[in-house]
Amino acid sequence: MNLKENMIRSFFTENPVTGLLLGLCPTLATTTSAENGLGMGLATTFVLIGSNVVISLLRKQIPDRVRIPAFIVIIATFVTIVDMGMQATMYDLHKTLGLFIPLIVVNCIILGRAEAFASKNSIGHSFLDGLFMGLGFTMSLFILGAIREVLGSGQIFGYALIPADWPTILIFVLAPGAFITLGFMMVGMNKISKLLEGGN
Amino acid sequence: MSKQESDFKVITVLVIIALFSAVLLAYVNTITRGPIEGNKKAEMKKAIAVVLQGVDLKNIPQMPRQMKVDKSIVKYFTAESDSGALLGVAFVVKGPNGFSGDFDVMVGVDADGSVIDTYVLQHKETPGLGDKMNGEAFKSQFRKKNLQNAKWRVKKDGGDIDALTAATITSRAFTHGVERALLGFEKLKGNKH
Repeated sequence: MNLKENMIRSFFTENPVTGLLLGLCPTLATTTSAENGLGMGLATTFVLIGSNVVISLLRKQIPDRVRIPAFIVIIATFVTIVDMGMQATMYDLHKTLGLFIPLIVVNCIILGRAEAFASKNSIGHSFLDGLFMGLGFTMSLFILGAIREVLGSGQIFGYALIPADWPTILIFVLAPGAFITLGFMMVGMNKISKLLEGGN
Repeated sequence: MSKQESDFKVITVLVIIALFSAVLLAYVNTITRGPIEGNKKAEMKKAIAVVLQGVDLKNIPQMPRQMKVDKSIVKYFTAESDSGALLGVAFVVKGPNGFSGDFDVMVGVDADGSVIDTYVLQHKETPGLGDKMNGEAFKSQFRKKNLQNAKWRVKKDGGDIDALTAATITSRAFTHGVERALLGFEKLKGNKH
């Protein structure tokens, strides 16, 4: 598999958020700021790489009948490691994301990649797949979070862009803003995907 | 998919995976437990320093004590002078029924029973609305207020507290939480003298 094609696929045409529409619960809920989006994305990336590699490593040992329970145990292990690791090293970020970290276990992207890719491909390829899919997910969450933070709170990474007493478009930090922003992002990403596909 | 594995193999593989996960998690837990505890303690310490500003904290206990106020458990740290006189108390109270459940607030009370300052320890309130309760504009109105010189309700309910714009429920819960701390202080004083 060619690396460049693989990257384009993960970042645009099959981007987990805007292309496959997988894992939307954490996507919409945690992207109230650029930092939260980035943190959630990177945590998911770590889990995705870890579970992809381990599942690929064990793909010949895991019996078909119990593959889903086996995958979930492996994924849950990595999620718990991330959860504890974040509490130990990034306590403040964990306070905001805390509720959603354990939910990475049931993020469809991770089980989806385990089932569709890692259980059929070599370790190296599964690692790259996890890395690119994770980064694609992170990119989407980061853009979504940044847009919502700028419009909704008038800040970026916590730095104020406008004076504190100026009004902001509050709806963007609330749930409807997440849907609206995601909708516009998908329009843009689909356009880019089409251009990239046409260009190839 | 074609060949059917024996039950024995299926069970063995699952058990091995589960055992391996358990061992790994136990190991990670032993590494991270210390730093996590440390982080929580550091956060508490920081909060105490904020809410008991200007109070001598050299005799503050490591672990909080508990009491019941208003059917809710309130934890508190007492700051005492070397001779045992009460200098101030930092209460950890629940803001009950916030917009997204209860949240924890630390409230510092001076020896006369007035609020020194407040600090939100953890909350799930709406970003951009309810989380402004940690902002200076909202917090400053609580300073120097006590049970006698203020009515502990938001203005909408006939009290003295300016609610946050579009976050009345959060403000109500916060006000209630601070009031609880003050009630706790009365109770504490009542027990002492």
